[in-house]
Amino acid sequence: MAHRNINMATVRTVPHMTRMSRRMTRRRTLTGLGVAGAALALAGCAQDAPQDTWQPKGDNAQMIHDLQWPVFLIAGIVGVIVIAVIAYVIVRYRDTGQPMPEQTHGKPALEITLTILPALILVGVGIPTVTTIFELAETDDTECIINVTGQQWWWEYDYPAQDGCGGISAPIVTSGQLVMPADTNVLLRLTSRDVIHSFWIPALNGKKDTVPGRVHLLRMHANEPGIYAGQCTEFCGLSHANMKMEAVALSAEDFETWKANQLEAYTPPEAGSLAALGEQAYIANCAYCHQVNGLSTTAPDGTVTPVLANPDQFVVSGAAPNLTHLMTRNTFAGATWDLLTPECRERVWNAPPEEFGALYLQGVTPECLNQVDLREWIRNAPAKKPMYALPSQAANSGGLVRGMPALGLNETQIDQIIAYLLERN
Amino acid sequence: MAIIERPTDPAPVPAVAGSGAPAVVTPSQAYGVLRRPVSSTGWRSWVFTVDHKKLGIMYGVVAMFFFIMGGIEALLIRLQLAGPEGTVLSAGLYNEMFTMHATTMVFLFVMPMAAAFANYLIPLQIGARDVAFPRINAFGFWCFLAGGLFLNTSWFLGGAADGGWFMYQPNASPLYSPTNGVDFWALGLQITGIASLTGAINLIVTILNMRAPGMTLMKMPIFTWMILVVQFLLLFAMPVITVALFLLMFQRSFGATFFDVAAGADPLLWQHLFWIFGHPEVYIIVLPGFAIVSEVLPVFSRKPLFGYRFVVFSGAAIGFVGWGVWAHHMFASGLGPVSVAVFSVATMLIAIPTGVKIVNWTLTMWGGKIQFTTAMLFAVGLVVSFTIGGLSGVTHAVAPSDTQQTDTYYIVAHFHYTIFGGAVLGLFAGFYYWWPKAFGKLLNEKLGKWNFWLMMIGMNMTFGPMHIIGLQGQPRRMMNWTEARAGEGFFNLGFWNRVASVGSFILAIGVFLFLVNIWYTHRAKSNTPKAPLDPWDARTLEWITQSPPKEHNFDKVPTVHALDEFFHRKYEVDHETGEVRKVATAEEILAAEEAQGDKHIHLPSPSYWPIILAFALPVMAYGVIYNRLLIVVGGLIVLLAMFGWALEPSVADDSDYDPPAEGGGTNKELATIG
Amino acid sequence: MAMWLFLGSECLLFGGLISTYMLYRGRHSAELGPDQIFDIPFTSVSSFVLLMSSLTMVLAVSAAAQKDDRRTNLWLTITALLGATFVGGQVYEFTVMYREGLGFTTSLFSSSFYTLTGFHGVHVTVGIIMLMALVGINKRSRVPGDKAEVVEMVGLYWHFVDVVWIIIFTLVYLIPA
Repeated sequence: MAHRNINMATVRTVPHMTRMSRRMTRRRTLTGLGVAGAALALAGCAQDAPQDTWQPKGDNAQMIHDLQWPVFLIAGIVGVIVIAVIAYVIVRYRDTGQPMPEQTHGKPALEITLTILPALILVGVGIPTVTTIFELAETDDTECIINVTGQQWWWEYDYPAQDGCGGISAPIVTSGQLVMPADTNVLLRLTSRDVIHSFWIPALNGKKDTVPGRVHLLRMHANEPGIYAGQCTEFCGLSHANMKMEAVALSAEDFETWKANQLEAYTPPEAGSLAALGEQAYIANCAYCHQVNGLSTTAPDGTVTPVLANPDQFVVSGAAPNLTHLMTRNTFAGATWDLLTPECRERVWNAPPEEFGALYLQGVTPECLNQVDLREWIRNAPAKKPMYALPSQAANSGGLVRGMPALGLNETQIDQIIAYLLERN
Repeated sequence: MAIIERPTDPAPVPAVAGSGAPAVVTPSQAYGVLRRPVSSTGWRSWVFTVDHKKLGIMYGVVAMFFFIMGGIEALLIRLQLAGPEGTVLSAGLYNEMFTMHATTMVFLFVMPMAAAFANYLIPLQIGARDVAFPRINAFGFWCFLAGGLFLNTSWFLGGAADGGWFMYQPNASPLYSPTNGVDFWALGLQITGIASLTGAINLIVTILNMRAPGMTLMKMPIFTWMILVVQFLLLFAMPVITVALFLLMFQRSFGATFFDVAAGADPLLWQHLFWIFGHPEVYIIVLPGFAIVSEVLPVFSRKPLFGYRFVVFSGAAIGFVGWGVWAHHMFASGLGPVSVAVFSVATMLIAIPTGVKIVNWTLTMWGGKIQFTTAMLFAVGLVVSFTIGGLSGVTHAVAPSDTQQTDTYYIVAHFHYTIFGGAVLGLFAGFYYWWPKAFGKLLNEKLGKWNFWLMMIGMNMTFGPMHIIGLQGQPRRMMNWTEARAGEGFFNLGFWNRVASVGSFILAIGVFLFLVNIWYTHRAKSNTPKAPLDPWDARTLEWITQSPPKEHNFDKVPTVHALDEFFHRKYEVDHETGEVRKVATAEEILAAEEAQGDKHIHLPSPSYWPIILAFALPVMAYGVIYNRLLIVVGGLIVLLAMFGWALEPSVADDSDYDPPAEGGGTNKELATIG
Repeated sequence: MAMWLFLGSECLLFGGLISTYMLYRGRHSAELGPDQIFDIPFTSVSSFVLLMSSLTMVLAVSAAAQKDDRRTNLWLTITALLGATFVGGQVYEFTVMYREGLGFTTSLFSSSFYTLTGFHGVHVTVGIIMLMALVGINKRSRVPGDKAEVVEMVGLYWHFVDVVWIIIFTLVYLIPA
């Protein structure tokens, strides 16, 4: 009984279907063009957010982009077609007093076709996907190694001594801004000191989790000098929103300058200056956790003792940002705040590639220093950035805190410390 | 009204807890410590009930309560993100808020609301008088309530869980999450997990063993089919999360080091366990919505479901393939390229059976006679929204592309289009469609349409912009966003975040109208008439009985001859012309059935033990967190309740009731053991 | 059938626990690893006891099928006793290990070992409670429904727990890390 039903239905609806599909084809062309236009507009917009995922600025991100825009386009077209068909159906077949419709139970041929069609589209998408996955996983062609370590809630970068990166004679440790040579394949070795974080510079590559106890590899490449924003994207606790970073790409020449500056010996502040008082205040209040390479104390008898930070005793992750060359970076506290005033920041961020390197290498000059945020931070860090940094909160972690505690400094001490830090360039 | 009903007794079952004194009963025998509860009115008839319909309604009420809670949490999140540097919530509270929003919506709203529908409707749809294990059914409900309440007491006891609903390790270990929130989360979900597991076993047995005569598997209503798939997914997914939660509990409360990297552990173990559960869970959430619209669309198109077999098999296929795609939640977690490629392709595969469903729904409407009732509007809304959600899903099956999108708002947009657009809209279609069945009155259609359009507009305004926000690089789970990274121009984050926040309030008003509608329909002065027997011209068995159904569902279990049995009893199809003629009304069909009703129906009797057993579990859970002694106390209650349960026959003797039943052979419908 | 479904679900529970153990079996200090801590002859004996209890369970099921209440109760009790012996052995084994310094939190190996075998022990204990309850109800002639079916269901559970032990015993004790 049901069988005859199906046959009848098939016969009767065929001409009807043909008429439909002709109309559909026309609609498809139009909507397809519409979506393509929208996609182009999306890709072409210049002043978009700095973490826009549709503006690749390096080979890896470009590879992803080349794969993703056609997929988005296909998905968009399919979506418009399906929704258009639904719209057509609910208008055309709304109840206008027509008799009860035929009780068609299905048309296997049509259903199989409509199953195979998406399967074919997916095969078309699947093949380039798989090849791109393997291309992106390639790391043999990298020429420069940088270790990236995530911790609550900032990033540390260390450059091991190597022949790569144009040769590095002694390790360089920095944080917040990842400085790398432009137009070079850089290998990031990612890990974490506490919980899982994720390293993501959308303009340069997709994200990769940093997992404690594991080292993950990520290849980075920037076409041109410039500054590229990123953010930790694996939920990592209280201040996850304040764990940002930038990648800074410099020309080969500028990168050499940067390296040389990073390895420069320590120059103590001029005796009697505000910065010299700041050095004392720094040793008394900051140096427990924050290393400044080359910093030392001289006892009355003339013995020189290097001042070594020992963050293991205070912080859960056992690390705090190295401040030796703080003023060569232009953000601080997990790249959440700028060390530059808004005008100076604009200049650096919006610089064309050829001028960018010189501007970046100027670092933070006294005129450009963003006093407001830096003072607030030194005065009471946990009030500015939510952290687990009160002694009362350390009961469950063996007395260790997560993040920078409030140090209880007075305004004079803050002045001194800022004067001292301004010379860390 | 006695539990033992004879069809000649016309007294209807009250739709909501009625007033009136409990029936006077003299139990002939006490079982164990407690006398058996036998009242069938008043609060006792709800608290100790084993009736699948009452349990279904209670599931629905409690799930609705948690839906509102989760919704308020969502609104607070959107308030915080409406502008840059939001200060509505502190960082800690914000983290608790999104963790609990997700946990509540997934475990305490969508899953139990689906359980509400399944509980209420499955026995009715397959022509059974109750589920296979009514007491276990009651136990499941109370576990859900106990677990849900337990979980939410954490708000008042030092803070809720703050590790995200996925609770990645080691961020959720005591060192990084020192409040008891995560303990409450792990133990609370463990308890609600019991509800899911017992419910799954119960419903599978019910569906496979208790179908009406003549109802072969391929004549089973599509709703029942999809729910069957869901229960199998639950059956195998729950133990995996159980293991994960046990490991987490041992880690947090008993000093084990399963996720402690310093001890040599691998934090990815948690991710694998969680997502092996978590991905089937996605289908557990969304298939009930599919199940509902697969019933609603044919009814209001006046056509059978197009390609019933295809829909059944694609549902089963989703059930199977759903197990092989969990690692697509981990494309960025550092798996090797081979695993990534395999899971990427498997994820694309699952789009095919999902696409089949959309095609079949559309073709069901094609050539129909479509009536836009509120239920139908929600169903069409689901098809459209889920299409969008499904297609954005395909874009991140492309693993390299996913490494850009994962953990951004693009993902948030995607899964809200699938979960809200796929599951919640389906549930609302179900509310409007089956409301007259459960409560005897039709919800107001005018309010219903406002409800639908506000929800639909609100939903698209809230989650639509999140596609843009995500592609512009705003990560999820961020307590705030900053102007510095918001960009300018058409795609700037500020504008679209505001749109989303406004949308969320429109959505909330839409949901609120649903509550208004319930009040409007059932308020004391309401002039809403009693719903007709077959208000929608429906097609399935649950409509061949009174609305609301009597306690024993059917006076006579109907014999099934065809898929869409009820339709075929009402209509005759002319095979030559394809013309459809009405030959009988619902009233006539029901009268014919009731005329030959069974003389003596035994139903399982109420019991104290399920609720006692269920509420002993949070006692033990508090014990784990605060005082080991409480574990022992709770454990003793559990043991006692289990023995009491085992000693109590599932069907009380006739002599438990007043008046005692007349003699004669009993018609024992339900084999209830355990 | 409900029991079959439940056991299907249990398979994944033990699957998860066994996977955890397999992942962490090598993570221990040099002195307190599986090689030093396991007393294989002892565990073999207790495994044999558990295996025998499966046999007595079969006898109980067949007695129940023949509606022989006395023999059913007898075999059920023996099964419970054998099970109790196994659990007793496990408690003894844990005590010895603990004295040797292998606490629950000592290493990842110990945590996952105790969790896996402990979960199994709890399952055996639950089985014993079910057997005893069954004997109790049977004596008072209050078994709901078909008695043989109830005994068979409990038997099914018991055999499952045995089979799981065989797998655990092989993977944990016999195959060297």
